[in-house]
Amino acid sequence: MNEIQSNLDILVIGAGITGIESSLMLSKSDRKVHLIEKTSYTGGMAIKFEEVFANMECSTCMVAPLQQELLQNKNINLLTLAEVEDVEGCFGNFTVKIHKKARYVDMKNCIGCNACFEPCPVHLKNEFEECLSERKAIYTPFAGALPNAPMIDTKHCLRFNGKDCRACQEACMFEAIDFNQKDEHIQLTIGAIIVATGYTPFDCREIPQYGYGKINNVFTAFEFERLYASNGPTDGKILLKNGKIPKSAAIIHCVGRDNKGYCSSVCCMYSLKFNHYLTSKIPGIKISEFYTDLCIPGKSHQKFYEKIKKMGTMLIRASDIEITEQGEEIAIKYIDVGGKKNSITVDMVILTSAIVPKDDAEKLAKILGITIDEYGFFKEQNQNASSVVTSKPGVFIVGCSQGPKNIQESISQAGAAVGKILSTH
Amino acid sequence: MNRKIGVYICECGPNIAEKIDIDKVIEAVTSLNDIVTVERYKLLCSEAGKNYLTEQIKKHSLTHLVVAACSPRDHQLTFMEVCENAKINPYLFQLANIREQCAWVTDNKEEATKKAIRLTKAAIARVRCHSPLEKKEIESNPDILIIGGGIAGIEASLQLAHSNRKIYLVEKNSFLGGLIKNFEKKYPEMQPCSASILQKIETIKKISNIKIFTDSEVQEILGFFGNFEVKVKNKKEKDIESFNVGAVVFATGSSLFDINKNPQYGYGKFDNVLTSLEFEQMNLSKKIVLKNNKTPKSVAIIYCVGRTDKGYCSEICCMYSIKFVRYLKDNIPDIKIVNFYSDLCIPGKSHQKFYEQTQGENIDFIRAENIDITKKGEQLNISYDDETNRKKNCIVDMVILSPALEPSVDAAKLAEFTGVPLGDGDFFAEEHEKLNPVSTSTQGVFIAGCAQGPKSISDTIIQAEAVTGKILSSLIPGKKIEPEVKVSQISESFCIGCKTCLDICSYGAITFDEMNKISVVNEVICRGCGNCVAACPSGAITLKHFTFNQIYEELKEAVQ
Ligand SMILES: Cc1cc2nc3c(=O)[nH]c(=O)nc-3n(C[C@H](O)[C@H](O)[C@H](O)COP(=O)(O)OP(=O)(O)OC[C@H]3O[C@@H](n4cnc5c(N)ncnc54)[C@H](O)[C@@H]3O)c2cc1C
Ligand SMILES: Cc1cc2nc3c(=O)[nH]c(=O)nc-3n(C[C@H](O)[C@H](O)[C@H](O)COP(=O)(O)OP(=O)(O)OC[C@H]3O[C@@H](n4cnc5c(N)ncnc54)[C@H](O)[C@@H]3O)c2cc1C
Ligand code: SF4
Ligand code: SF4
Ligand code: SF4
Ligand code: SF4
Ligand code: SF4
Repeated sequence: MNEIQSNLDILVIGAGITGIESSLMLSKSDRKVHLIEKTSYTGGMAIKFEEVFANMECSTCMVAPLQQELLQNKNINLLTLAEVEDVEGCFGNFTVKIHKKARYVDMKNCIGCNACFEPCPVHLKNEFEECLSERKAIYTPFAGALPNAPMIDTKHCLRFNGKDCRACQEACMFEAIDFNQKDEHIQLTIGAIIVATGYTPFDCREIPQYGYGKINNVFTAFEFERLYASNGPTDGKILLKNGKIPKSAAIIHCVGRDNKGYCSSVCCMYSLKFNHYLTSKIPGIKISEFYTDLCIPGKSHQKFYEKIKKMGTMLIRASDIEITEQGEEIAIKYIDVGGKKNSITVDMVILTSAIVPKDDAEKLAKILGITIDEYGFFKEQNQNASSVVTSKPGVFIVGCSQGPKNIQESISQAGAAVGKILSTH
Repeated sequence: MNRKIGVYICECGPNIAEKIDIDKVIEAVTSLNDIVTVERYKLLCSEAGKNYLTEQIKKHSLTHLVVAACSPRDHQLTFMEVCENAKINPYLFQLANIREQCAWVTDNKEEATKKAIRLTKAAIARVRCHSPLEKKEIESNPDILIIGGGIAGIEASLQLAHSNRKIYLVEKNSFLGGLIKNFEKKYPEMQPCSASILQKIETIKKISNIKIFTDSEVQEILGFFGNFEVKVKNKKEKDIESFNVGAVVFATGSSLFDINKNPQYGYGKFDNVLTSLEFEQMNLSKKIVLKNNKTPKSVAIIYCVGRTDKGYCSEICCMYSIKFVRYLKDNIPDIKIVNFYSDLCIPGKSHQKFYEQTQGENIDFIRAENIDITKKGEQLNISYDDETNRKKNCIVDMVILSPALEPSVDAAKLAEFTGVPLGDGDFFAEEHEKLNPVSTSTQGVFIAGCAQGPKSISDTIIQAEAVTGKILSSLIPGKKIEPEVKVSQISESFCIGCKTCLDICSYGAITFDEMNKISVVNEVICRGCGNCVAACPSGAITLKHFTFNQIYEELKEAVQ
C-alpha cells in the first residue's frame, strides 16, 4: 500500500445513527465521505423512537442535530435512494458502482412544504408507520424526515402506470417535481468502506401461538413505538384498534430468541422503556412483563428497572406462552416457574421482536467480498481482534449490521472503524 | 456606530406570501431607525436569492442584515455564509422565523401578519445590539497521555502510535496488562488471552514513540484540549517528569467488588472459597486444587455477588462464570459443577451458543436467592432459596464467587483533580450516554474500557479504537483548534467572588483568581451554555451574543 497512490475518500453504507456518526467523524478530519442510504431519509431505526433508554431522552432531539449537520456538511456527499451494485479493488483503491434511484423531486428546488401530497389521488399504507396510517404516492414517510423532500412511489403513482396524472406537479409552486428524472449509475473511487446497514425486526408471524396478525390488539415493538410517537399515526395516543384506551397490557420478552439462537441484548431494556411509555400516558394501567431472564447489563440500566418495579409492574417468569382472543380481550396462557399452568387476560399485548439481519445482508456481503456468520450478520474477521474488522482489508462493519446492540455500542463501533481508518490509511 | 440595516422578507413561494401580508410587514418596519432598505424576494435561500442578498449588501453598504424567513434550523448557516462572503461579520445578522412560527401555524392572515411584524421588529431590535465576533484559533499539541496499561490503554497506544504521535502510557503497577493478564483464555471464542496480551506488551515496548512509565502515577493535569501540562511521578524513584500533550485518555479499568462486604459467602473465613480472579490465576498456573492439594470433585460458582450492593449488572460475570465451567471440565472431566445464578445475562450474537455448548452431564444451572455458605467438615454447604422459594442445600468442595466490577480505586482521585465527573456506579461519566460514550465533559479527556463501565474485552477494544477515532479526527497535527465563539465573560467590577459559578460550570471553564478574589472564564474551555450567567447573583457574567441587552431589546419588541 505504500507505493500505490491510495485514495483517502470513504464510502459509508447506511445512514442510520451509526453511519451518520461515522461520516461526521470522518468529515472532521477533512475526509471526503460518500454516504449511501437505501431509503429516502436518514436516521435509520432510531428516528422511529420517541424516547431512548436508559435516560429516556427524546430521540428526535438527539438525532436531528446530527442529521442537520450531515446535510450541511460540505465533506459529505449523501446519496439517498441509493444502493451499492458492485465493488472492485482493494484497501486504498476501491471502485464502487452505485445505483441511485430517481426521486422525481429535485432536492435543490424543493422546500419541503408538502403542498403536493394533498392533491395526489392515490391512497396507500404508510410502511414507516407500520401501516397504521396512510400516505400518498408522493410522500415523505413522516413529518420531520430529513432530507425534507418527498419522493414518488412509481409502483403506485398513476402517471408511472400509464395514466395522465400530474396533480402533484401542478400543486408545486417551486417546479420541484420532475417526472423525467432518471435513475443514475454512479462510479466512485474510494479508499475504504464502512458498512452500517443495521437490522430488521424479527417477523412475529413466525411464532403463530403469539397470534400476531390474527388477534387485533397484539402489537409488535415497532408498532408500539409508533403509537407512542408524537409524530406517529395517533399523534402519540396509545389506543386499541377500536380507539379505546387499554386498561391493561402485557409485554412478551424474547420474541424470536429461540428461533434465532441468540439474545438480542436490547429488548429487555426497551420493554422497560415501554413500561415507562405506558404509565406516562395511561396512569394506573396494569402491566405484566413475561420474561425468561432479565438481561439489563451495564452501569446505567438496573436503576431503571428498579424504578419501574416500584411502579407496580408484574414481572412474570414464564414459558410456553400462548396468546388467544377472548372476546374483546386477550388471554395469555403460560407455565410459571413452579411448572404450574396459569393465565391472565389483558387488553393489549406487545411483542418484543428480536433484532435480525437485513434480508439483503447476504447479497451485500457478496458484493463487498465479506462473509456473514451463522445468524446472517456480517462476520468479523476474528473475534479476538476488533469486532469492526472483516476478512477483507479496508471493509469495516459497524452497528447492528454486525450484531444486535444498543445505540451506545453502535456509536462506539462507528468511532472504532473511524479510528482504524484514520490510523492506518 | 453608524448602522445600516437591510431587512429582507422571503416569500418562500406561496408559503409565506399567501399567509402573511408582506407589504404590511414592510410598511411597519421601513421607518424604523437605522433601516436602509426593506425588500421582499421570492426565495432567498436559492442560489439566485443568495446572490441577490450579496449584491444588496454591497449596493447599500449594509452593516447589519435581518432576514425574515424560515426556521434558523433550516437556513441560519446559509445566511451567515452570505454575510461572510459579502464581508460583513456573520454575527451582525439575525433571522426572524415568520414561516414556522407565523405562516404555518394559523390560517388567520391578519394574526399571522401581526406576529410577523413583531418578530421582524424584534430581530431588528436585537441586531442593533449585536457585536462582531471573531473566530479564535489556537495551536495544539498532537501528543497523547494514556493512563492505565490494561488492554484498553495498550490498544489505544498501539493504534495511536500508528499515526506517528508521541504516546505517554502511565501504569501504576510494575507491569502492564491489567486484569486480562491473568486469564488463560477469553470467552467466547476461547482463544489464548494471557499469552496474547504478553505478546502485545512485547510489541508495545519496541515502539519508540510510546514512552512507558510503570510504577507511576499522574500527579497533575493542567490546561485544556490541545494544551495539557502533565506531571507524572515514579513511585519508586520518587522523581517527577513533566511534559505536554493535547489529549488525555483514562483507561484505568476496574477492580472487583470487595467481597468482605458480603460475609454470608464465607470468603476469608473458610478455605476453598475463591474470587473469580483468584480462580483465573489458579487456572493459569495449571493447578486447580483445594487447600489440601487434592483435586476438587465438586465446585459451585456463585453469580451476581455484590450486584445488589452496586445496583447494576456487571455484564461479564455470567459469561466468564460459564467460561469457568469450561476450564473446570477441561482440567477435571468428571467434576460436578453447580452454577447459582439469578438472571442469565448473555447478550449478543455469539454468547447464547457458548452457553448452550457448555451444558452437559454434571453441570447444573440453578436459579437461586438468599445464598449462605457455611463449613461442613472439609466441605462447604450452600444453602439457598430456589425459584419456588423453597430452602435447599448443596455441598461442594470449592466455591468460586463472581463479584461485580467496580471502578478502579484511583478513579475518584483522578476525577477529583481533573474535574471529570463520575456517573452511574462511580465510573467516569461519558459526555453523552448514547452519542458520546468515550468523551467526557472535559474536552480532550477521553475514557475507554472498564473505566467507563463494566464490559468485555472486545467491547473494551472497540472503545479504545473509538477513542483513537475521536482523537485522530479532532486533534490533527498542524491544524489549529477553533474554540466556541459565543463564550461568557465575567466583569471584574461586578464579580463579588462568591464562587457560585465555579460549581455551576460543568466544563470546568471557570477558575478563581485568588489575588483579585474574582472568578475568571477560560474562553478556550467555555462552551457557551449560559448556566453561569443565570446563576451569578450579582449579574457579573454575560454571554456573548446572548447579552442582557440583546435579549431584553428583542423581547421588548416581541411581547409588545
Ligand atoms: C423496538 C426497539 C427499540 C429500541 N430502543 C432503543 C433504545 O431506546 N435505546 C437504544 O440505545 N437502542 C434501542 N434499540 C436499538 C437501536 O435501534 C439500534 O442500536 C440502532 O438503531 C442501530 O443503529 P444502526 O445505524 O446500526 O442501524 P439502523 O438504525 O438499522 O440503520 C441502518 C440504515 O442503513 C440503511 N440500509 C440498510 N441496508 C442498506 C443497503 N443495502 N444500502 C444502503 N442503505 C442501507 C437503512 O435504511 C438504515 O437507514 C431499539 C431496538 C428496537 C428493535
Ligand atoms: C475474572 C474475570 C474474567 C474475565 N474474563 C473475560 C473473558 O473471558 N472475556 C472477556 O471478553 N472479558 C473478560 N473479563 C473482562 C475483562 O477483564 C475486561 O474487559 C478488561 O480487563 C478491561 O480492560 P481495561 O484495560 O479497561 O481495564 P483493566 O484490565 O482493569 O486495566 C486497567 C489498568 O489500569 C491501571 N490503573 C488503574 N488506575 C490507574 C492509575 N490511576 N494510574 C495508572 N494506572 C492505573 C491498572 O493497574 C490496570 O493495569 C473478565 C473479567 C474478570 C474479572
Ligand atoms: S415537491 Fe414542491 S410541493 Fe412538494 S414538498 Fe417539494 S416544494 Fe413542496
Ligand atoms: S402524478 Fe403520481 S404522485 Fe403525482 S399526484 Fe398523480 S399519482 Fe400522485
Ligand atoms: S434482551 Fe431480554 S428480551 Fe431480548 S432476547 Fe435477551 S433476554 Fe430476551
Ligand atoms: S452478568 Fe450475570 S452474574 Fe454478572 S451481574 Fe449480570 S446477571 Fe449477575
Ligand atoms: S457559559 Fe457554560 S461553559 Fe461557559 S463558563 Fe458559563 S457555565 Fe461554563
